[in-house]
Amino acid sequence: MSMTDGEIRELCNRFFDAYQDRRVDELADIYSSDCVVWHNVFGGREMSGKDNLAALPASYEGQRRRTYDDRIINTFEGGFVIQYTLHGVQHSGHKGALWICIVGLCSNGRITRIDEYMDSGRFPAWRGAGPAARENAS
Amino acid sequence: MTDTELRALCHRFFDAIERGDCGAVAQIYAPEFRMWVNLTGTESGAEENLAVLRDGAKLHRRRTYDDRIVNTFASGFVVQYSVNVVTHSGARTSLSACVVAQCRGGQITRIDEYLDSGKFRSRTQDPA
Repeated sequence: MSMTDGEIRELCNRFFDAYQDRRVDELADIYSSDCVVWHNVFGGREMSGKDNLAALPASYEGQRRRTYDDRIINTFEGGFVIQYTLHGVQHSGHKGALWICIVGLCSNGRITRIDEYMDSGRFPAWRGAGPAARENAS
Repeated sequence: MTDTELRALCHRFFDAIERGDCGAVAQIYAPEFRMWVNLTGTESGAEENLAVLRDGAKLHRRRTYDDRIVNTFASGFVVQYSVNVVTHSGARTSLSACVVAQCRGGQITRIDEYLDSGKFRSRTQDPA
């Protein structure tokens, strides 16, 4: 069943709110049973939504807080593209940011595919490691 | 612009870059054009971007923008693609990228480009 612009935007924000609040149960409800998640980093491999959810608790342990800010959402037939800034506070107190774009495909009120684009060159600054961290902190 | 017009503009843009036709790219950019890249987080204008394209074209024997998945929205398009590069030495590089473009009046007014700089170093493969 096709979704309206309003429904897709609501689903997109619900997804990022759940991610931010570490609500894995809510994310499980948002992913379709056949959901696929792909990143342009981490080897460019596809993973199932189930595997993605299983990896989240360990992923969340890396930061004290994450917020998904400055969301710019555009919807198209069957999905959305969202541009946002991921702000993170590491356990050391270091604050980092990543600029990310996600293309999400949606059907029947759920997300069926996520393609995520980011720059791995920003990871040291995000974590607060190496010279790039000083650049990020300035 | 209609869905069809936006798709045609998207392909015209990438086809022109593939050909190294900076004159055609210049016609596609609106006077107020701005470009932003996630690698630096900085914006540039049309002239600066065209200079980068001209310099970039000299670096490689061939550059193709393949596997384009285009979706259009009210004010523009998003395109996901693979850039496949053959260097003058014959080495091949490929990276996945995504561009979100804002369009008006048959031209592109803004491009936000997302790619992974890690691929610049790790994916180059010398010819067998």
